Amino acid sequence: MAGAETATYDLGFAKWVAGNISGADKLSMCMQCGMCSGSCPIGTQMDHGPRKLIMMIRAGMRDAVLSANTLWNCTQCYNCTVRCPRGIPVTEILQGLATVAVAEGHAGGEPTARFSEAFWWSLAKFGRTDERLVTSRFYFSAGLAEGVRKSRENLAIALRMIKARRMHLGAPHKIKRRKNLQAILAKAREIEARGAGEGD
Amino acid sequence: MRETPKKRYTYYPGCSSLGSAAHLDKSLRAIAPELDVELEDIEDWNCCGASVGHVEGGALPNMALSGRNLAQAASQAPDDIVTGCASCYLNTHGVNEKIKTDIRARRRVNEALGAADLCYDDDLQVRHACEVLVNDVGLDVIRDRVRNPLDGLEVAGYVGCQTVRPFADTDSGGRYDTYDDPAFLDNFAAACGAEPVAYDPKTACCGGSVSVHSPDKTLHLIKEIVAAAHDSGADVIATPCPLCQQNVEMYQAAINKRFGTDFHMPVVFYSQLMAVAFGLDGTAAALDQNMIPPAKLVDLAKKPNE
Ligand code: SF4
Ligand code: SF4
Repeated sequence: MAGAETATYDLGFAKWVAGNISGADKLSMCMQCGMCSGSCPIGTQMDHGPRKLIMMIRAGMRDAVLSANTLWNCTQCYNCTVRCPRGIPVTEILQGLATVAVAEGHAGGEPTARFSEAFWWSLAKFGRTDERLVTSRFYFSAGLAEGVRKSRENLAIALRMIKARRMHLGAPHKIKRRKNLQAILAKAREIEARGAGEGD
Repeated sequence: MRETPKKRYTYYPGCSSLGSAAHLDKSLRAIAPELDVELEDIEDWNCCGASVGHVEGGALPNMALSGRNLAQAASQAPDDIVTGCASCYLNTHGVNEKIKTDIRARRRVNEALGAADLCYDDDLQVRHACEVLVNDVGLDVIRDRVRNPLDGLEVAGYVGCQTVRPFADTDSGGRYDTYDDPAFLDNFAAACGAEPVAYDPKTACCGGSVSVHSPDKTLHLIKEIVAAAHDSGADVIATPCPLCQQNVEMYQAAINKRFGTDFHMPVVFYSQLMAVAFGLDGTAAALDQNMIPPAKLVDLAKKPNE
C-alpha cells in the first residue's frame, strides 16, 4: 500500500484528468459526501473507495490513483453514478482511469487488464468475442502452470456449458467484413493518439 | 381478431447470443411474433466491447465498435434498435446518445468510421428489450397472450445492475422504471400467471465481468443473491441479464463448496417464462439450455405436439 508519506504529487493531475477523461469535467462538483463509496458492493475490497479516489485525484496523487485496485475491482454496477447527488458519472471516470492505467503500465498482472487484453484480441481479430477463446487466452496469460490450473478448475463449468450448447467447439464466430472493422479500430487508435491537446 | 400492426425493430443480438446467453436470444425470437413484434438483425454486427473493451482498446476504439453497428443499422432501416443484453444496451445506447449530444464525439467516431467508408449521422433510438416490452408492447398485451399460465410457479425477480442502471429512469432510456426498486420484472412474472416472491437483492450486483475472471473476489455477492431466493421459497430466479444469468447459475457449485450450502436454484430469463406462458414448448423456450434444469417450469411447459 502506498502510504501518504511515499506518495508523489502531480499538482496538474486533477486538471489533466478533467480534460482527458470522459465525464471527469464534472469532478470539481464532488462534495465528498461518500454516497458513492457507501453504495459500492465491492468497496470493502478496494484500496480506496470512489470518494477517496476522487480526493486523491484532487490532491494530485497520480501514481497512487493509477495503481489503485479500485480501477480493477469496480464491477460497473453504476450504483455510484445513479446515486451521486451531484450527477458525477463516477463509473465512467473509473473506466477512463483504467484505460490510462493500462496504457501507462500501472496495471501489472491485474486480472481485469489481462482479461480485457484477451477480450480485445478476440473482438479485433474476429469482430466478435468467442467466450471459449477469451477465457483460455486469459487463463494462460498468467503463465502456463496457472493456465493449466485454471483450466482444470473450470473444466466442470465448461463441460456443462458445452452440454447446454452455450459454448461451442468449432471455428470462432467471425464477422464477414473483418478488414473493415480493423480499419475503423486502427483509425480510432490513431485519432486518440493525436491527443486532446490538439483541439480534437 | 386482433389487428395490431406489427412493430418493427432492428435487432442487435450481441456476442452472448452465440454462446452463454443463447437461450435468451432463442426465447426472445420465439416470443416476438406472439407479441406482433418483428425483429430484423443488424447485418454483420460486431462486438460492443462489453464492460472490459475500453480497458485495453481505449475509449474511442471502444466507441467506434458501437459506431459501426449504428451505421449498419441506419443503412438498413430507420427503426429503433433493440437488444436483450444489458451490456450491449449500455454500450450501444450510451455511444448513440453521446454521438447525438457531443459534437466532438460525433466527429471523431465518424472520422474512424470513414476508414471503412461508413458514416453515422442519423438519429436512431437504441432500446432495451424490457423497456420495449413495457412501453411499446405493454403488460396488457403480454397478459392477453398467455395461454398456459404459470400457476404456482414462485419467481424471484433478479434485475441486476446494468439493465436499469444508469439509463432506465432517463428520458432517452424510456423512463420505464426505477434504479433501486424496479417493478417490471415482477410484473412480467405476474402477467405470466406466476407468483413473484418478495426479493430484496433485486438490484444487487453479481460482480459482472469481475466474477467471470476473478470469482474469488465476488462469490460472496452471488451467494447472497441465491440465498435470498432460496429463503423466499422461490422455484426459480428470473433475470433479464446474460451476465447475471451466467454468474448466478454457474457458480452455485463453487458457492456450495466454499460456504457449505446446498443450492440448486435454476436461473432463467424472463423471456423463457413468457415463452412457456404463451404456450410454446420447452424447446422454443430453450429450457434445455439452462445448466440447472428449471424442473417446475419444464413441467409447466407444453410438450411438443401437445
Ligand atoms: S457521491 Fe458524488 S458528490 Fe458524493 S463523494 Fe461520491 S462523487 Fe462526490
Ligand atoms: S460502479 Fe464501481 S465504484 Fe461505482 S458503486 Fe459500482 S462497483 Fe463501486
